This record gives sequence, structure tokens and C-alpha cells, in this order.
Amino acid sequence: MSEEEGNSGQVVKGSEEAIFLVENLLRKKLSELPVKIYRAAGDSIVVEVPRRYLRDAANAVHNDLDAYVRTCAGCDEREIRGIYAVYHILGLDNYGVNVIIKVAVPENDAKVPTIADIAPGADWCELEFRDLVGIDLTGRPTHRLVLPDDWPDGLHPLRRDVPYGVRPPPVKREEVSLIEIERPGIPVGPYHPALHEPEYFELYVEGETVIDVRYRGFHVHRGIEKLAESKLTYKQIPFIAERICGICGFCHSTCYVMAVEKAAGIEVPERADYIRAIVLEIERIHSHLLWLGVACHILGYDAGFMHTWRIREKIMALAEYLTGSRKTYGINIIGGVRKDINKEKVPKVLEVLDFVEKETKNLADVLLSVPEVKRRLTGTGKLYREEARKLSVVGPVARASGLYRDVRKDYPYLAYKHVSFKVPLYTEGDNLARTLVRVEELFESISIIRQLLDTMPGGDIRVEEYEIESGRVSVASVEAPRGEDVHFLITGEGRPYRWRVRAPTYQNIPALRAMLRDQQLADAPITIASIDPCFSCTDRLVIVEVSGGKVRRVRRINVVKVAGGKVW
Amino acid sequence: MVKKLRFVKLISVARKARTVTRKYPFEGPLITEEFRGEVRLDPKKCIGCGACIIICPPNALTLHDEGDVRVIRYFVGRCIFCGMCAEVCPTNAITITKEFELATLATEQLLRDLVHERVKCRICGKPFLPAKLLKAANDDIPGSDNYIDVCPECRAKLGLKGILEHRMG
Repeated sequence: MSEEEGNSGQVVKGSEEAIFLVENLLRKKLSELPVKIYRAAGDSIVVEVPRRYLRDAANAVHNDLDAYVRTCAGCDEREIRGIYAVYHILGLDNYGVNVIIKVAVPENDAKVPTIADIAPGADWCELEFRDLVGIDLTGRPTHRLVLPDDWPDGLHPLRRDVPYGVRPPPVKREEVSLIEIERPGIPVGPYHPALHEPEYFELYVEGETVIDVRYRGFHVHRGIEKLAESKLTYKQIPFIAERICGICGFCHSTCYVMAVEKAAGIEVPERADYIRAIVLEIERIHSHLLWLGVACHILGYDAGFMHTWRIREKIMALAEYLTGSRKTYGINIIGGVRKDINKEKVPKVLEVLDFVEKETKNLADVLLSVPEVKRRLTGTGKLYREEARKLSVVGPVARASGLYRDVRKDYPYLAYKHVSFKVPLYTEGDNLARTLVRVEELFESISIIRQLLDTMPGGDIRVEEYEIESGRVSVASVEAPRGEDVHFLITGEGRPYRWRVRAPTYQNIPALRAMLRDQQLADAPITIASIDPCFSCTDRLVIVEVSGGKVRRVRRINVVKVAGGKVW
Repeated sequence: MVKKLRFVKLISVARKARTVTRKYPFEGPLITEEFRGEVRLDPKKCIGCGACIIICPPNALTLHDEGDVRVIRYFVGRCIFCGMCAEVCPTNAITITKEFELATLATEQLLRDLVHERVKCRICGKPFLPAKLLKAANDDIPGSDNYIDVCPECRAKLGLKGILEHRMG
């Protein structure tokens, strides 16, 4: 048992008692500051703090209370209050409580102090709201992260007065190349050869050793957040939420509906909670098998790749049998689920689980004994615990570096409080540890599904009648196969006022820099793959459709202008 | 030595698994009985109410009123096969099929149109709603026979006239 878990022994995570404790702690810690502390929907506490005390408050919560950055969001609230607002969402794992630090930003002086030096996990999301909402940052070097280089200055797509679907003419800029490092940059991308997703890494090498790495992403902007905030209705969004990711779609739709249900106080029938949890675990099994296969493929062991995917196919068919779609699409709605898992289906599920468990055990045994695979996984792509904590990494990456962090345990949701399972924990932090965490989780997932099927209560699977009040704030999170998904929601009239999605890869990519440095170049592909990156998830949110041709874009990406020599 | 050669076990795994690839399309596809594919609209049952159009998340179903007809258009290219339309249809006119082999070179082949004749208003002569929808509404609301073939605008005028006549005596 790790120390983090030990701390929380006294209170049930996420319970009323825990929230009360955190509230008192906050009052004590922040007593010197002029703050307003109040409860938001569910397990969240809002701390409203004046702009000039933001850094003090963030420091107290992040460092003294041992919280970590879940995400942050900028919001254009000029229509309601005549201000912009910035929300920093910090998670207190030990209590299962979210603390939302809210800062009001006046319209005529849209600037906030940075907290990225206090909490490095906030680095990206700060730059994101700078790009999208146009709230500038003070006290840190800034550069464009999300918007493409030829997007005009001063046009911030997530502002409410910018209509959906704006396509401004591209702005020609002088291209400045990276000159700080006079080493050959080896490009990986803009299309990952094995993961089949757009990303771009530039590896700087000295001989065969990687000395630095830069990442340029956000190529697959789809504008989902803007679309939801300006065009769709509450009921339509689950169907676009599940399309944020091609693997963990159900995690995103669950996360969204949970955020809405929390905000509106909708009591979901227990049976629906069980069904959602079962489908989530099925998704985890197929995702981990997929990853295992791809890892073998990258290491040149294609026989292993084919056999893992042979086993995975059974799980995909099972997902289709339970939800009507191989990708588990289309059954999550606000208030419950649309498809029941009735008694007749249970024997078939158990049969498939038995098959998958047996076959995977056999195969994992073989895979991990292949000398090439073992040697290339062991000791490569190391991420040490301290670094992992500082960067707020999540999911199997965190657990392989000795951080006991799992949303299913820390922020109990759905039916997970009714089952017992182990969270695999390794301290080595190398590629082998991340592989082993995933393999073990697979078996835990199988056991979770068996327990859930065994104890599933009867009753309805959905509630039809509900009302969603506007102006409520909620945070929901789900442990996706790659880590935690966090959805932050402010309700509005008929559709969310603000819906912020943070995918796990968003937190994990910055850790790649630490993993790749001083490694052999040949190990870079497997190390990049070892965080199980999902670039589409990460890039989900801008409206941008660059009008320039593809070839031009590739060339441009090569020459990102960097302020202060930092791309991260 | 034995431990070192453990990976050779893959041969026995492979022998046991044998060939799993299905020779599709010469053999049937691997779909389960729960699979959701293209939806089919039954022109006999459909009353043209538009409930499916409102619920459809990707707007694959659209409704156009043109002249004498109301067209309910199903564009399979946009469909996400969620089946929400079948769920809300008041007359069960929509069925979910297992059809998924929908690839085509011409977009028009992905359009399915269902045409409803619209009834002309007895007063102004403007076409307004499909006949079947009016009948269904009439069945639902007893005593609405007088107004059933009058368009909403004329109905408002008619109602107002009725009230005025009643008041004025």
C-alpha cells in the first residue's frame, strides 16, 4: 500500500464527510486571503479568489494540500457577468474531492498570472485558454499551442461573440526556424507510422542518443467544444462526446452524462450504473489488448500483434452483442442507458471472458518471454516518480511510476464502490512497467465485470424526466484505459454554457520529454507508444480548418516559432 | 534453458487457434443479432410527424415541406446507427436493419426519400400537413373534426371569428 492511499484511511473518498473536511482545511489554509468558498454540484468545492491572490491560493492548494492539476478552463462570461473567468480544477486524491479555483478577469484587462511554475501540470491548459478565449498570461513565456500558425491574432474561437464555423483567411507569417539547438532534428510524424494518428515529434540527437524532443500537436482540430456550446442540445452531445476518441468513446460519453447528471442532480437508476461500468471495463480490455498488439508490432514482433488482436476480436464482438455497436456507441444518454443487459446475455458474456482470460494469460506469458521484446522494454523510457508527480501524469503511466492514482478508487463513481479490485502498481517507471500495469489491469477488469454481473440489481435503466438548471458548475471524471478523462461543465439554456474536455493523453504527452531524454533513438518509437497516446482525444477542440494544402502544413510545422526556447 | 525457450510456446498457441480469418464476402460477416445498421422507414406506417427528425443527433433525417409534398429524407452517409429514431417513432414505422454494406460511388444512392402528400387548407387552399398526420391527430383529439382540414393560420382566424361572433351575439 502506498503512502497516498494510507493518508485517506480515515474517510470515505468523495463522501460528504470528506467534502466537509476539505472545506474546513481550505478555510484554514486560505484564511489570510479574501476568498469565497462554497460547494458546487457533486464532490466539488469552488474557491473564488481575486486575481492578485491566485498564485497564493494555487500554491496553498497544490503544494500544501498535495493536490494535482486536473485541468483548467477559460470561460467567456461577458453575457452574464461582464467578465471572463478562469477555472483551475485541482484534485485532492486523498479525499476524492475537486477544488475549483475560480478567478474573475475583467474584460478590459484580460490577463491572469500563471500558475504553471507552481503546478507544471497546468502548462498546456493555460496556453489553451490563452489561444481560445484570449485571456493572456503574465509571468511566463507564451506561444501559440492550439491554434495553427496562420490563424489571425486576436480572433479567439471560444469567445461567445465568435460564431460557429468561422473560417478566416490565413495570415502569412515569417517562418522562423528553431535555432537554439544546432543538432539535426529527426522528425517523427506528422503522421505516426504505427499508431495511425497525426502528431509531430522532433527528436534532437547526439550520435544515437536523444538529447531533447519537441512536440507539435493539435493537428486534428474538430471544434467539438464550440459545436456543443453553440449548436447541439444536451441530448445530442453524448453522441458527439463518444466520437472524441476512437477507443475510449464510452468513457467520454459517460463522463459527459455524469457531469450533466451531477449538475442537474439527476438520480440515475443503479442498474444503469452497473451497465455503464460493465461497458467501461469491456472498453478497457479491448483498449489494453489493442495497445499490447501495437507495442508488439512496433517492436517488430508481428506474431504477437496478430494473436493479441485475434483475442481482442472476441471482445469487440461482445461489445457489439451488449451495445449494438462494436465501438459501444449509442447507448449512453442523460439519465441512464438505452440497452439492458438481460439475464439471457450473461452466460455468453461469461463464456467470452473465460476465453479471453485464458488466452491472454497464455499469450502474455509468451510475449513477455520473447528476448527481443523483453530487452527493449526493460529500462527504456524511464519516468521517475518525482517527475511523474510534478507533471500530473495519469493512468497506467502514473501507476508504472509508483503513483497510486486511479479515478475508480480516488473519486468513486458508478458501480465501482460495490466491487473489489486491485490497482497494479510498479515503481520502475520504464516501458516494461507500463506494459505489466496494462496486462494486470486486463485481468482485474475481467474480474470486475464478473462481480458486476453477479451483483447487478434489477429495476429501470433510465429516467426520462429531468430538468437542467442553468448556471451550475460540475466536474466529472472517468478512469479511461489511458488515464483519467475529466469533463468540466457549466450548464446553460438547452445546451452547456461551457464544456471542457480533458483527455488523458493531454496530461501524459509532456512527460514524454522526460522519458525520451538520454535514451537511444531506436527506443523512441516504443517509448512514445508506451503512454498509449491518443492524439485525436488530445486535439479535440478547436474550430480550425486550415485552408492551406497538406504539404504546406507539413513544412510549416517544421518551423514552429518558439518563444523562450520552449515548445511544451 | 527451458525458460529461455518459453517463447517457442507461440507455436502451440497458433496451432490451437488455427485460422480465424473469415473469408468475407464469400462467407457471412461476423455480426451479432444485436447489431444496429441502416434504418428503414415504412411508408405505410409513417405519418410524417417529424419526431425522428428532432431526435436524430447527426441530422441524418431531415424534413422538407415543398409545394404539395412533405419529404422525409434519410441520408445514410450521415447516419451514426444509434437507432434513436426507432425509439421515438409513435407508429413504429422505423425498423433497425442489419444492413451495413453501404459503400457506393454515388452520394445519391445514400439518400432515401419518403414523400407524403400534403392536405390543402379548405379555406385558403395552401398545403399544410400530411393527410396521415392529420388523421392521427384527429384520432387523438376527439371533436377536432371541424378544424382538421384548416391550416394553422386560418384556424386562428376561424377561432377568433368564432369568439367575436359569440361575444357580439
